[in-house]
Amino acid sequence: MKSSKKQEMSDNQGDDLAHRVLNDIKASSDLGLLRCVQCGLCTSMCPASKHSDYDAREIIKRVLDGDESIIQDEIIWNCFYCYTCQSVCPVGNSVCQVTQILRQMAIDEDVGKQKIESFISFADNYIKEGLGSIPREYHGQLKIDYGQHWENLQENLEEVREQLGLDSMYLLPEAKKSIDKTLDAIGFKKRVQEIKDVRNR
Amino acid sequence: MSDEKIGVFLCHCGGNISDNVDLDYVESELLKGDDVCVVRHHENLCSLEGKNIIKDQILREKLDKVVIAACSKITHGNTFQNYIQPLNPYLFEMPNIREQCSWVTENRDESTVKALSLINSSVESVKHNEPLKKIPTKVKNSVLVVGAGISGITVANSLAKQGMEVTLIEKRPAVGGAMIQVGKVFTPGKLSEDCAACLLNPVIDEMVRNEKITLLTNTVLESSTRNSGNFDVILRKKPDYINPEKCTSCGKCTEVCPTYAPDEWNEGLTDRKAIYKPFPQAVPSQYTLDDESCIRCGKCIDVCPTKAINLDAIDEIISLTVGSVVVATGHQRYDTAKRPEYGHPFYEDVLSQMQLARLMGVNGPTNGHLVVPSTGKVPRRVVMIQCVGSRDQMPDGHKYCSKVCCMIATKNANLIHSHYPDTEVIICYTDIRTPGEYEKYYKYVQENGVKYIRGRPGEVARVDDHMVVRLEDTLTKTKKEIHTDLVVLSAALEASEGTMEAAKVLGIPLTEDKFIKEKHPKMQPVSTDIEGIFVCGTAQGPKDITESIIQANTASTKISELVNGGLEVEPFIASVNVKKCVLCGKCIDNCRYQALSMHNQSIRVGPIACTGCGDCIVTCPQEAISILGQSDEKLEASIKGMLKNKNPGEQIIIAFLDDIGNVSANNMGINRVECPSSVRIINVPFINRVKYRHVKYALTHGADGVFLGEYPDNARHNEIRENVLVMKRHLKEDGINPDRLLIHGVFIPYFRGLASQFKEFDDELRLLNEA
Ligand code: SF4
Ligand code: SF4
Repeated sequence: MKSSKKQEMSDNQGDDLAHRVLNDIKASSDLGLLRCVQCGLCTSMCPASKHSDYDAREIIKRVLDGDESIIQDEIIWNCFYCYTCQSVCPVGNSVCQVTQILRQMAIDEDVGKQKIESFISFADNYIKEGLGSIPREYHGQLKIDYGQHWENLQENLEEVREQLGLDSMYLLPEAKKSIDKTLDAIGFKKRVQEIKDVRNR
Repeated sequence: MSDEKIGVFLCHCGGNISDNVDLDYVESELLKGDDVCVVRHHENLCSLEGKNIIKDQILREKLDKVVIAACSKITHGNTFQNYIQPLNPYLFEMPNIREQCSWVTENRDESTVKALSLINSSVESVKHNEPLKKIPTKVKNSVLVVGAGISGITVANSLAKQGMEVTLIEKRPAVGGAMIQVGKVFTPGKLSEDCAACLLNPVIDEMVRNEKITLLTNTVLESSTRNSGNFDVILRKKPDYINPEKCTSCGKCTEVCPTYAPDEWNEGLTDRKAIYKPFPQAVPSQYTLDDESCIRCGKCIDVCPTKAINLDAIDEIISLTVGSVVVATGHQRYDTAKRPEYGHPFYEDVLSQMQLARLMGVNGPTNGHLVVPSTGKVPRRVVMIQCVGSRDQMPDGHKYCSKVCCMIATKNANLIHSHYPDTEVIICYTDIRTPGEYEKYYKYVQENGVKYIRGRPGEVARVDDHMVVRLEDTLTKTKKEIHTDLVVLSAALEASEGTMEAAKVLGIPLTEDKFIKEKHPKMQPVSTDIEGIFVCGTAQGPKDITESIIQANTASTKISELVNGGLEVEPFIASVNVKKCVLCGKCIDNCRYQALSMHNQSIRVGPIACTGCGDCIVTCPQEAISILGQSDEKLEASIKGMLKNKNPGEQIIIAFLDDIGNVSANNMGINRVECPSSVRIINVPFINRVKYRHVKYALTHGADGVFLGEYPDNARHNEIRENVLVMKRHLKEDGINPDRLLIHGVFIPYFRGLASQFKEFDDELRLLNEA
């Protein structure tokens, strides 16, 4: 009797956006989201806030206000995970964690899938090779950024590794096969497909 | 069987009891044995007629002891204590057959059985009562005050005026604490800033002139032991390198001294010599020597015209016996270096509020001229940052609000603004906290032109020749970089080293935030856990001058009550059996009220200090200690009596309730909340009084369960709970189901909870018995 009443209460609490964020598996157990006093210290230090319309404090305010439109809002994609907000917040909140959770919520809807769709070639590469590597299509930009040296290294990578006495970087076919099976089993491929479907729609 | 004559009186309470308890049956049962020699009824025993009946029977039958079965002891304990007079007032027991029986038991038969069992219990237990006397005590008329800031001085003055001998000690070389250093204080009602020294000086003068006050500077409290109500304290006074009688304050020594050290009075903004006067108006007006910086070159000795200096002087150890102690050790300020993002002390143009106060003090390093340290010019803009180390859950921060910083910043801002109208002052805040009257001052200062921005800055940086403060104005949602000449940090107030030292020496507990913990934050705000030790001022937590003075006066009133009140203490205190005691001293170490002390090869109990909690009983390896009027045997007898007439199939729960629990149980009765008739309550002063032997005795002599009702907000809570687990283990070893023992938290208003807990336990035991 007593315990079911407790359950009821916490269920009610769990309904709103702030509690959904707090109860998310990604949220650290002592996340101070509900303790936020809107002091603005996070914003004062946040590089994303400095260079864009992103306002760390405002993100928290909208979450606390239960403003669901924040999930659809472009703005949550501006944080680049530097964790400065988390390191300075006097009440142990982390805007950075909160935006990550909001993004996951967005990904569960189409708008988020569109957002991460441009990174899908990383996933494709992973499915293909069984390991994380930079997709071909980014090489052009990296060449510009890092210069000829980088290109040389990429082209002669196998040779260089050989000289250093290292084995091939690529997996053996049977390893690839078992990773492939795993990615299938855990639904990774399916999720990649879902994201691609959004583009195709 | 004792040959004492015991009489029992049964009160009908105008039907309140007699309607639901068959008192004739009770009487006949009582008279069956040979324990009770006479039983009398009356409609209202608490009436004058009742008084006569009781007295008459005592004289006529030559009764030695009396049991009065009526209402709760809280209601009429005192009444009957008087009514039994020719007898000693402690030779009676009062089973509660109203609140805890007739009012909570629906079934008349059950109620009658229960009443009989409660009365039997008292009959058994009263056999162990001894004549006792209230203990008249005198507290010594002398007080030690630790700390000579505004709180300590106020308390000392007040006590001395009431005729007490006061020793006022101060760790620093001069008195006045934070108030004298701060320069200006403000009066919200007048909307003005006043000279702190001008307000404080008459108070200090009064202290100096009062012959009942002995002021000892450069002195700390080294140890304290309790000695029957009084405190034997040892003070350590730093060596008097400069003889105060001879020193004429000419200052020649300072001139020749070659050694410099940071000047505490000016918050390190300037340096001072190793031999120096703390500040021009210092009291006592005497030169002092900082022996850590002194290189013993002897130059000062050569120039001193009165030969007042002796570099070989040694510490003075002073011993003293006082009746009370006041802790007025004040606060210290948060070390802002723990927030390096604000650049203090790396940038010389970042100051603390106290440094700013010194900069603006007429007796400060710049004679009151506000200048930017790096340029020597008047600042064009000053930015203040609030909550530095306060309301801060980061490591090294303080969760609490320091309470006075908003007012301090506002005052300093207004001072700057009125002296330098061209200087812009901005206060960056999270919330402005100016409760009550202070709000008026805040609005006034705001109207004067001081700017308030709502936002907590994240960092202070140096850019070119000035400072930049970064923050978000959270009201306009704009990110700002404020360029400024001077940044001032409002650092948290925190417990001072001196406070923590004093607490350690005196054995008084600290709060989680390291301030002195009051006995009760609401009801006893200046008392501590140890009777006779009081606290006031910021040693107890952040507060302003007004509040500190109010508290100081309260503390002095409380001491006056103690000294002048002609205290009569209940005799239920610890008593040591000298034959059994081996003087191991364990009890002394364990008593948190410092009630025990060693005296001429025996343990002495301080009647004022002893609360009768019984902790010592549990600690003593020799079983040498008992609480007067509450022996183990008496407790056992209570249990025995309750189980005496147990009927076949009847279920009995012995419920030991502490005082809070007992009141809660009475409330069950007053509110007519039904309680299982199996429950038989024994009131004990503290739950740790109940030993395993009692639990075991109850469960092996017919009780089906033992219930311990404990008010959880007591200092021994964890140990008690721990102890119950140990008892349960013992029960298991002894082949008794540990589920027959239950401990439960009790609160006065939560009597329905207590009732349902009783019910639940009763049901569980029934299942256990069936199984
Ligand atoms: S720093 Fe923390 S408390 Fe302040 S506004 Fe940001 S999230 Fe809220
Ligand atoms: S603990 Fe017992 S034996 Fe030891 S000193 Fe105290 S009273 Fe004596």
